[in-house]
Amino acid sequence: MAEIKPILALDPTLGEEGSCPENPVIRNFSIIAHIDHGKSTLSDRLLQSTNAITEREAREQILDSMDLERERGITIKASAVSVRHVHNGKHYLLNFIDTPGHVDFSYEVSRALTACEGAVLVVDSTQGVEAQTVANTYLAVNNNLEIITVINKIDLPAAEPDERAMEVEQVLGFPAEEAIFVSAKSGQGIPELLERICEVLPSPREQQTKRTRALIFDSHYDDYRGVVVYIRMFDGKLSVGDKVRMMGTGRTYTVTELGKYTPKPQKVTTLGPGETGYLIANIKALADVRVGDTITQELEPAEKALPGYEEPRQMVFCDFYPATTEDGKGQNFEDLREAMEKLALNDASFTYHAVHSEALGFGFRCGFLGLLHMDIIQERLEREGGVEVVQTAPNVTYELLKRDKELVEISNPADLPDPSLWLELREPIVRVELMINTDSVGDIMALCLSRRGEFKSQQAVSEMRQFMTWEMPLAEIIYDFYDKLKSITRGYATMDYEIIGFRKENLSKVDILINGEIVEALSFISHRDTADKRGRALLNKLKKQIDRHQFEIPLQAIIGGKIIARESIKGVRKNVTAKCYGGDVSRKRKLLEKQKKGKKKMKSIGSVNIPQEAFMAVLDTSE
Amino acid sequence: MNQTTGITVGGQRADARIALTSPDVDARSLYVHVPFCFHKCHYCDFYSFVDSRDRQAEFVQALEVELKAMSPAAGRLQTIFVGGGTPSLLRPELWRRLLQTLGDRFDLSQLAEFTVECNPETVTRELAEVLREGGVTRASVGAQSFDARHLKTLERWHDPANVERSLEFLRDAGIARRSVDLIFGIPGQTLAEWEADLDTALGLLDGEGIEHVSAYALTYEQGTAMTKKLELGRLDAIDEDTEVGMQLLTWSKLAERGFGRYEVSNFARAGAECLHNLAYWRQEQWLAAGPSASGHARGFRWKNVPRLTDWMESVRTSDGWSSVVDLETPNAPRALAERIMTGLRLREGLDLNALQEQAGTFGAGDPLRREIDRFVQSGDLEIAADARLRLAERGWLFADGIAAALMGSLSPRP
Repeated sequence: MAEIKPILALDPTLGEEGSCPENPVIRNFSIIAHIDHGKSTLSDRLLQSTNAITEREAREQILDSMDLERERGITIKASAVSVRHVHNGKHYLLNFIDTPGHVDFSYEVSRALTACEGAVLVVDSTQGVEAQTVANTYLAVNNNLEIITVINKIDLPAAEPDERAMEVEQVLGFPAEEAIFVSAKSGQGIPELLERICEVLPSPREQQTKRTRALIFDSHYDDYRGVVVYIRMFDGKLSVGDKVRMMGTGRTYTVTELGKYTPKPQKVTTLGPGETGYLIANIKALADVRVGDTITQELEPAEKALPGYEEPRQMVFCDFYPATTEDGKGQNFEDLREAMEKLALNDASFTYHAVHSEALGFGFRCGFLGLLHMDIIQERLEREGGVEVVQTAPNVTYELLKRDKELVEISNPADLPDPSLWLELREPIVRVELMINTDSVGDIMALCLSRRGEFKSQQAVSEMRQFMTWEMPLAEIIYDFYDKLKSITRGYATMDYEIIGFRKENLSKVDILINGEIVEALSFISHRDTADKRGRALLNKLKKQIDRHQFEIPLQAIIGGKIIARESIKGVRKNVTAKCYGGDVSRKRKLLEKQKKGKKKMKSIGSVNIPQEAFMAVLDTSE
Repeated sequence: MNQTTGITVGGQRADARIALTSPDVDARSLYVHVPFCFHKCHYCDFYSFVDSRDRQAEFVQALEVELKAMSPAAGRLQTIFVGGGTPSLLRPELWRRLLQTLGDRFDLSQLAEFTVECNPETVTRELAEVLREGGVTRASVGAQSFDARHLKTLERWHDPANVERSLEFLRDAGIARRSVDLIFGIPGQTLAEWEADLDTALGLLDGEGIEHVSAYALTYEQGTAMTKKLELGRLDAIDEDTEVGMQLLTWSKLAERGFGRYEVSNFARAGAECLHNLAYWRQEQWLAAGPSASGHARGFRWKNVPRLTDWMESVRTSDGWSSVVDLETPNAPRALAERIMTGLRLREGLDLNALQEQAGTFGAGDPLRREIDRFVQSGDLEIAADARLRLAERGWLFADGIAAALMGSLSPRP
C-alpha cells in the first residue's frame, strides 16, 4: 500500500500543479447510478486500483458504513474519500464524493453533486437506463458537471453493452462511443476510467473571493467525536483552531480537527480551495448542521453564502407507537422516546413530536423526506433502538388556505378543521418518472390514470423500453403504487419522483366510525371522487381484521356527517364454556385472560377490541 | 400431564403446607381425586389413566397419609366430593378403608353433602352399599348421552341402559341424592338427536326422582384426543348456530321440568343444588387430596402434582404433603378476577357491595364500573333489587366473554 502523506494547503510555490505530491491536480467527482447498478463495487475497485485499499478491504463495500445500507444495497450517508494517483507522470488527488442513491435524498444528492466538477454515470449493462439513472443524471447536468458514462457489469452473460450505450445516447444525450465498458468485478476497463477521470474532468473552479467559503455536503454523527461534517472548500482556507460560522444557521464553532478519508481518516492542519475533507468542531447534534450550508471564518466572514441552501422538508408523515407484546406488557413510551432522540442525533432530516391517540396511546408523529426514508427510520428504531413500534398509515403534508388567508401545513388528517373554516386544501404533486417495458404501457397507463395521474411524456428508450413521465398527487403513490407498478411489470419497472408543488384539489377528510365512535387514527384525506371506493375498501379490511364480538359492530365511513360506506361485523352467538371445571379455578382464569387478550396486540375503542394491525389497513385500500 | 416435579419456593419443593399450616385455616370442604379409569374418554382433560399395574391399594395408602397431614386445617367439614377419574372403579374394600379414614380424621358432624362421581358401568349393589354405609349422601353419574353413536364419538364405552341400573342401585342403597351428567354438541349430533337424548334423560330423571342435572356443551380442551382429532380434521365440530340451539333447548326443557339453572351448566330442583360446587364458585376454602387435586385456602391456590407416581413419592417423603404445581400466592387483583369469573356463572350472581369493597375504588370513571354499566346497558347483565349483579337472560350465552371483559378491565391500562 502506497504511503499517503497528508497534503498541506495547496501552495503555488510548490511549482506547477501535479508536479509533486504536495501540489496535486484535484478531481472532485461523484458516481451516480440507479440502485444496484454497481456503484459501490465500482468505488471499491477504483480505490483498489489507486492502492488506497487492499483487495481484502475491497471485498467490503467500504464507502457504505451502516449495516442497513449494505443490507438494502443502498447508500444513505454520503462520504468523501481522497486518494492519490499518478497518471502520465502527474500527481492527482481524486476525491470521490459518494451520494445517496434514492430520490428521498435528492436534496442531499444535489448538494453532494454541487461539491463536484464531474460525475461518473454508471449503467448496468444487463439492465440499462432506469428511472433513477435519469433523475440523477438530470441533477448532475443541472449542476453543470462533466459526465463520463460507464457501462458496468460487462462480465455478465446477459450484458448488452452496445445496446445500453445507445440507450444512454438516446435518453440522456451522451454519445454512445464515449461510454467506457467496465467490469467493476474483474477490473476490466478500470485503468481507462481512471485515465478519463484524470484527463476529462475539470479542475476545481477558480476562487471567487479570498474569504473562506466551504460547502457542507454531508454530515454524520460519531459516538466519540460528535458530528463529523463533510465539506468542499470553494474559496479561501480552513485551519484547525479557526473560529467558524455557519452562514445559514448563524452558529459558530471552533475547528478542532480537519482531515480526509483515504479511506481511513487522516488528520490535516489546513484545507485549501478545491479540496474536500471533514471537519470536527465539537458539534453536539446533527440537527445543528444543515447540509447545503456554507462555512466561513467568524472573523472575516464571506459576504454571500454559496447558493442552493434549502431547509429539509418532510413530505410523508406517520405515527410510531410502542408496540405491546403478547403478554400485554408493552415497551414503554419512554423507551421509544429515547430511541427517537438517539436516532435524531444521526439523522437531522426526520422530525418527531409526541402525540396521543385515543386508539394507540402515547407515541410520536414523525415526518420523513419520503417513503424509503420512513422505512429506514422504522427499521433503525427497531434495530438500533431495540424498540418494537406500531406504525400507522402514512399520509402526506397538505397546505390549507384558511378563511383568514393564512396558509398552514396539515400533516395529520385529524388536524384538518371543519370545511367551513377554510377556503381550499392543496396537496403535494410529484413528477413521476417511470422506466417500463413496452408491453406494460397499457396497464401502467391505466394504473396511473386510476391514481389521478396526468400524462406528461413518453419516450422510447429502445424497442423494449419506454420512459414515461407523469404528474400525480404524492398521496396516490405513498400507498401501494410502487408495489402495483412492480407487479404489473413483473418487477421490471423503475420509478423516481420529485415534488414539484402543491395544487388545489377537491379533497375531503374521511372519518371512520367503529361502533359509532370516530377512530382518529383511521381518518384519511382523499380526493372526493375516490373517497367512496377507498372508504369501502378500508371498511372491508377492518371487517377482516377485527374479531367478532358478542354484538354486531357497525363500521361506517363518513365525510362531514354523511355516510359514504357502511359494513358490519356480525356478533358472536355464543361464548361460554360450559364444563364445570372442578376446583381448578386458576386454569379457567388463565383461559379467560387469554380470551380477553387474544393472540393479537389489541387496542380497545369503546367496547370494541381492535388489533393494532387494523390501523395499518388504511394503507392498502386498493382492492 | 407428565409433570414430574413440583415447583420450588426458596429452593424447596413447594407443597400445600404453605397454605394449610396456619391456625386460621378453617376449610369446610374437601376434594379427593381418584385418577383411575378403565378407559380414557377422548374429551376428558382431568388427570386420569388406565391403571395396568393395579396401584389402587398403594394409592389409598398414600391418600390416608395425605389426609392425615392436612386434617388439622379442616374445620367441621360441610361437603366432601370424590371425583376423578372414576372413583367408582376403586374396589369396595379400598372404599371402606378410605371412608373409614375420612371418618377418623375429620369432624363430619356437620357434613351436609358427600358426593362420589360414578361411572354407570362400575356401580354395583355392593359398592353402593359400601358408599352409603361410609356416609356418602350423593352420587353423580356420568351418563353423557343415551345415544350409543355419540357415546362412541366421545369414546365412552358404557351401555346406555346401565345408567338407569346404576341409578337404581344407588337409590336402593339409600343414596337418594343423585345427579346425572349430560353432554351435547357432540360431532355429528343434530338438534333433533339432542332433543331426543334430552327427552330420554328427562324421562329417567322423572322416573328416578332425580333432582340435579349437569348439562354442558362439549368443550375441546387443549391436549385431549378430541381436540387433536379436530385439529387433524378427523372430526367436525358442530356449527355455532346448532350449538346455540341446543343450549337454548336445554335451558328451556329443564326449566319446564322445574330444574332451575343455578349455574351455567348445572340445574337443580329447589334445595338440591350441589353445595360442594357452590363452595368453589363462592370462593370458599377447600382442601385437596390426591394427584392433580386443586385446593384453595387463605388466598392460596395450588394443584397437587398430577402424576400418580410423583404424588405418591412426594406424599411418602414429605410427611404426607404432596408437591404442588401451579401455586398461586395470595393476590388481591387475582382474587377479585376469580370472584367475578366464578360468581358470574351463578344465578345468584355477585354481591355488588361486596365487589365494590373488594375492588376498592368503584366510581363512575372506574374501568370495571364502566364495563359493568356497558353490559347492563346491552342487556347482558342485570343488577337486582338486592344489589346483586348477575347475568341477564341474554347474557347467559356470553358468560365467558362478559367475565373476560370485566376481568380485563381490572388490569391497569397504560
